[in-house]
Amino acid sequence: MSASIYAKPTAPRIILRPALVSVLLHVLIIYLMTVNWSESEREIVRTKPAPKVINARLVDVSEFRPKPKPKPKAAPKAKTKPVVKAKPKPKPKPVVKPKAAPKPKPVVKEQAKPEPRITEQELAAIARADLARAVAEEEQAAEATATAAEMAASYASLIQQTVISRWSRPPSARNGMEALLAIQLIPTGEVVSVSVLKSSGNTAFDRSAINAVEKAGSFPELQKLPPGEFEKTFRRFRLLFRPEDLRY
Amino acid sequence: MKWLTVLALKLALLMISLGARAELTIEITQGMDNPTAIAVVPFAWQGPGSAPTDIASVIDGDLNRSGQFLPVSRSDMLGLPSVQSEVYYRDWRAIDTEYLVIGRVSVAGQMRIEYELFDVLRQNKVHAGVVTGAVSEARMLAHQVSDAIYEKLTGIRGAFATRLLYVSVTRVPGGNDYFRLTLADSDGARPIVLLESREPVMGPTWSPDGRQIAYVSFESSRPAIYRQDLATGQREQLTNFKGLNSSPSWSPDGNTMAMVLSKDGSPDIYLMNLASKQLTRVTRHYAIDTEPAWMPDGKSLLFTSDRGGRPQIYRYSLSSGNTERVTFEGTYNARARVAQDGRNVVMVHQQNGSFHIALLDLVSDRLHVLTATELDESPSIAPNGSMVLYATKYAEQGILAAVSVDGGVKFRLPAREGDVREPAWSPYMGR
Repeated sequence: MSASIYAKPTAPRIILRPALVSVLLHVLIIYLMTVNWSESEREIVRTKPAPKVINARLVDVSEFRPKPKPKPKAAPKAKTKPVVKAKPKPKPKPVVKPKAAPKPKPVVKEQAKPEPRITEQELAAIARADLARAVAEEEQAAEATATAAEMAASYASLIQQTVISRWSRPPSARNGMEALLAIQLIPTGEVVSVSVLKSSGNTAFDRSAINAVEKAGSFPELQKLPPGEFEKTFRRFRLLFRPEDLRY
Repeated sequence: MKWLTVLALKLALLMISLGARAELTIEITQGMDNPTAIAVVPFAWQGPGSAPTDIASVIDGDLNRSGQFLPVSRSDMLGLPSVQSEVYYRDWRAIDTEYLVIGRVSVAGQMRIEYELFDVLRQNKVHAGVVTGAVSEARMLAHQVSDAIYEKLTGIRGAFATRLLYVSVTRVPGGNDYFRLTLADSDGARPIVLLESREPVMGPTWSPDGRQIAYVSFESSRPAIYRQDLATGQREQLTNFKGLNSSPSWSPDGNTMAMVLSKDGSPDIYLMNLASKQLTRVTRHYAIDTEPAWMPDGKSLLFTSDRGGRPQIYRYSLSSGNTERVTFEGTYNARARVAQDGRNVVMVHQQNGSFHIALLDLVSDRLHVLTATELDESPSIAPNGSMVLYATKYAEQGILAAVSVDGGVKFRLPAREGDVREPAWSPYMGR
């Protein structure tokens, strides 16, 4: 209501101004869009896709290079190269390398760092550093999975011991009988479901196995596990009941 | 588009790997075999006055004696339900009960016992049943309920609704001892004296259908084998030979009786056709051959012989006529009895100068000494093969004791007047 009172006198001015602004904005947007477009395209090539994707695209480009198209593109590079470095060597190199050696690396580097030229020694050093870093990362990852596996194993043994202490076999149980149960836990370690995946054929034996898990009820120690580990290993797992310590 | 296909591919791969990932499997190869906690709630009596028999306490006692179960004390029960709608699993779980038995008893001419068995941990009904019979057989009906519960929970047929025979000797100063042959329930309750004599009574045994018994009585001043019908009390003298007449043992088909006679010299095993009374000599040896016991298939006999210098168990094959030695461990193994599975043989075994009950596994050929008491004798195995009843000495008195075939459970039967000996566990009494 109050807006309409204001609106009447100021309406013409407002109409004029937005028109100007909108024209300016459109120009700006078109400019920005064109500029960003090219930039964003480059960015996508550099960062977003995984290395393999880059490889695929670059292979295409290199294949085209020897023929007409690559020349105009390569021109700026060719210009910088002769300026910085000696004339004789640089030319054969880019021609030979992309063809024989794995094409992606040299090309990517050249694209990313067009200005400074890197010597072979520096390249080797960088490669070595990269390799060292990669190895270190791999080792770290391996270590992490090892401790996770160890952790899972120790919690598995805890579950095993708890269930053993609760398991009373019926007198009809015999060594070698096998009942496979599917167990489902929630992150508190509480047993929410016990079901028979494979029966031993002896209902009393199966029931004794189920009751051993039900009697245990929960494994609260599992709360100490990182959530990822819990989900990976203990959200659902199996228990195989196969007595070996009976007389027969 | 490319990006999308790559993403789709990755997702598909992830799903495949998730599906193919082996789920953790933890193996359980040991157990503690603690007795299972079971609550037998007093059964509701739906008749005039008070219940003639506490059915629940009979069941409670049966399950307790098996060693497989640990009955919950009534004072620990948080409620006494008699119908399913009154069962609150939470209450039973709170006192660590695994199974719950409730029931109702009514009498309309016959006694009728309805019962239900619940799994407290899984919160479901495992079994429900009804037994009916004469009011005077109330305890036997309760034993039948115990049998059903035991079978459901252990996978083995119960042997509570069975009976025992045993001989008791009452010492009277002046040489006036008297002997009694007694029939009782498997828990020792309701003893009935079948025979009372001033002369020894020995070797009671059952017919395979549980309707007749046989025994040796010296009542005619020399040992003779008798058989007796339990329902009619009718008695028949089977042998009256010169010398030893002992160790009657019914064949599994009920048509033949193995026995020991010394009419032809040294004690040997003979078979008597019960219809024609015709005798067949089985062993022919100058040593003592005694205590025959049939294998469940009726194709061979075990017996004790000292033909090797010391008493050992031998096996005689009726088809081939061959005799082979069965026991090799120790210097004294005697009076074998075979379980219905034909695999476990119980016997008296001497170890370090004491006589124990041992179990020989015919398949693995391993001998396990089951008892630690001295002077154990006359083992008799339950028809379900779970327990061995035997005679032993306790406080200078002969008593009956029982041990489970795994040696884990032992109990003594309530002491009776006098020395008790030679127990014989009946076969299943019909169903």
